[in-house]
Amino acid sequence: MDRRELLKIAALAGIGLSIPKGLDSLVGSIEAAEKTDLVVAHGTSPAKITRAAIDAIGGIKRFISRGDVIVIKPNIAWDRLPEQAANTNPEVVATVAQLCFEAGAKKVKVFDSPVNDPRRCYVQSGIEKALKPIGVELKYVDERRFRDMNIKGEALKSWPLYTEIFEADKVINIPVAKHHSIAKLTMSMKNWMGIMGGRRSSIHQRIDESLADLMLVIKPVLTILDAVRIMTANGPSGGDLADVKKLDTVIAGTDQVAIDSYGATLFGMKGNDLGYVRIADKMGLGTMDISKLNIKKINI
Amino acid sequence: MKNLRRISQGIFLLIFLFLFIQTESKGMDELGYPVKIFLDFDPLILTTTILSAHSAAKAFYLSIFMIILTVLLGRVFCGWICPLGTLNNITGSLKKKPDMQIRDWFRVKYYILIFLLISSVFGLQLAGIMDPLSLLIRSLSVSINPLFNYSTRTFFDAIYNSDMRGIVDISESVYSVMKKGLLSFQQPFYIQGAFIGFLFLFILGLNLVEKRFWCRYLCPLGAFLGILSRFSVLKRSVSEGCTSCGACASVCQGNASPDKKEEWKDTECYYCWNCDDVCPQNAVSFGFHLPLSTLAKEGIKGGYASMDLGRRRVIVSMLSGIVAVPLLRSTPVSKQGYSNPSLIRPPGALEEKEFLKRCVKCGECMKVCITNGLQPTLFEAGFEGIWSPLLVPRIGYCEYRCTLCGQVCPTGAIKRLDLKEKSKIRIGLAMIDKGRCLPHAHAIPCIVCEEVCPTPKKAIWFDTAKVKDRNGKEITVQQPRVDLELCIGCGICEAKCPVVDRPAIYVTSIGESRSKINQLLLPY
Repeated sequence: MDRRELLKIAALAGIGLSIPKGLDSLVGSIEAAEKTDLVVAHGTSPAKITRAAIDAIGGIKRFISRGDVIVIKPNIAWDRLPEQAANTNPEVVATVAQLCFEAGAKKVKVFDSPVNDPRRCYVQSGIEKALKPIGVELKYVDERRFRDMNIKGEALKSWPLYTEIFEADKVINIPVAKHHSIAKLTMSMKNWMGIMGGRRSSIHQRIDESLADLMLVIKPVLTILDAVRIMTANGPSGGDLADVKKLDTVIAGTDQVAIDSYGATLFGMKGNDLGYVRIADKMGLGTMDISKLNIKKINI
Repeated sequence: MKNLRRISQGIFLLIFLFLFIQTESKGMDELGYPVKIFLDFDPLILTTTILSAHSAAKAFYLSIFMIILTVLLGRVFCGWICPLGTLNNITGSLKKKPDMQIRDWFRVKYYILIFLLISSVFGLQLAGIMDPLSLLIRSLSVSINPLFNYSTRTFFDAIYNSDMRGIVDISESVYSVMKKGLLSFQQPFYIQGAFIGFLFLFILGLNLVEKRFWCRYLCPLGAFLGILSRFSVLKRSVSEGCTSCGACASVCQGNASPDKKEEWKDTECYYCWNCDDVCPQNAVSFGFHLPLSTLAKEGIKGGYASMDLGRRRVIVSMLSGIVAVPLLRSTPVSKQGYSNPSLIRPPGALEEKEFLKRCVKCGECMKVCITNGLQPTLFEAGFEGIWSPLLVPRIGYCEYRCTLCGQVCPTGAIKRLDLKEKSKIRIGLAMIDKGRCLPHAHAIPCIVCEEVCPTPKKAIWFDTAKVKDRNGKEITVQQPRVDLELCIGCGICEAKCPVVDRPAIYVTSIGESRSKINQLLLPY
């Protein structure tokens, strides 16, 4: 507990004690004004910065309760090696899974519906190896478990989505930040394409609206954007190390729009350059304007 | 002895099936099991490959062991090891009635063998069509395994969808165990699966006409080993006690005339020991004798019949082997400059002529192909190339970082490649059908082919075009184009194209690295 945090608690406790019960809502609003919207953690150890980022955003226990069944959704779409940055960093995924268990999660499930062969994606991404010792349930997508879901969105009225996402108590999104030719960048919002069944490739016809629509039904409690390595060109599959930039960064938050908007700055863009961020902001699904956010930067 | 033999047969069949199931990716770059080892021990494939291609994969020299084994002990492979022989045995046991009539067709397989050997001298590699190991692996890969998967999956899906609470939990846990150990990762589908399966079931069915019909009359490997067993030192002898009761004739697996003593056909004996086991007088014994020596013949009761193939018939089989070569090659496929656009060979496949001299159509590559894209040909490569592998991208593309087909190919028809070599090999080229492509023909955004393109610098790039819609409104679309120098023809673009029936981007064999003629660009 650092000094700032101690003072905050002391102050809140003081207020809490000094005011009558009916004014609890006031306490809540003071807390909200103080809270961190985004944590940007930088450092050479992916595990350490992930842990630090989650601690700084309120600690894993803010999101996970004892006995929860958790789904963690990384990007494991490609038959690529970790250093090629086409999939989420295995250490980041393993650290989040580890934290969930530390918070008392009953079960942690990890899966993706990859573009390349799933067996190769799971192995070559390094994610299978990283998760094995922790006791995570890393399963392949079972075609029978897609169900048509009512989305009632602008572009997507209904779509077959993977039911395990909706059966879980809590969902955590762990995308990787990459270049993409039509979405421009793929980060947290686009990571949800990985739970779409059916003819999902046709959503590229209206990619921005579709990605915003998905947010109407998929509600992760926490999102960690992996920018340990980012892919700056030839995405989302990549393959050329010259297109990979090592940033040693992860970004944690609860607002995917804000995260993607901040993520754009890593590529020299703005959230406003990304259609899906703009639309989601307009729909009230999150905040695009990062100047309005309380961003905490930490170095480890 | 009977039980010992059955145990041996069972063990080899199980090893065979285990390795067959392991002929599947687990996500690593290598399989971790010597899945093609049965083929490596096959001297028929070794011989025909050497005759046709004048070289053979190193692993094939394991089959010299088989030659030595047969020269020492006779056709023990047929009786104790061969997995197809064992399956014939099992199917044959369904036939309760003894064989009514004993056929005298054993020579047929020698004619088939002569045909195959002679045609292979002229570079026509047809041995794999009838080689028992090749035939078995192909049939299992292309039809029996898909059949097994399909029925199992349908069964468990039906329970799953029935919503019977308690039962679903049990069935799903059984299902997941089966998925791990027995079933393929995904349901395999093959063109001609039904046809090849029918042939296989027909061969098994022949056992109901006469037990081990295939082994006795048709198997060219059996014939090959039969000739070798002429020299074997393990021979059968019959003592004075024989009452010619004929009990041995009815249990003989190879139809080797064991009851005829002097006329016992050593080339047809599988050394199953049935005659010894059944003999009420205990007159039969197997022992080591110098081969073909008159001394040995006189010393023991019971000699060996001559093979007596008949000079004319041998000549006819040899001539057919010769005639088959131009006959099978008088198709346009052999015409200089003719290339079949759909004949996309796996990466690392040799130049077509060299490829056909080696490919034994065993189906290992089709079984291991990670996307199910490798399929058996029918006549795309001429009759000579029947059941050789071709990639059908619409069924499955060639995974950029996968090299398994070259690893399992027993004859080197598909070269073993490392990842670096593989990434440079072109198996064809993608072309865009502008009349069907969404951005080209309809100004609808779509980038799927580019998104999935696996080359580090993408072989598909965008030309940004301003087009007008029906109301005259200007829209900007990214129209995909193929960089012919970067495209390797893997076909993932075709496989994933949202125009699902006839894709707006598709691969044909042109530009394939292995061909000098089937090219498009100026050499550089």
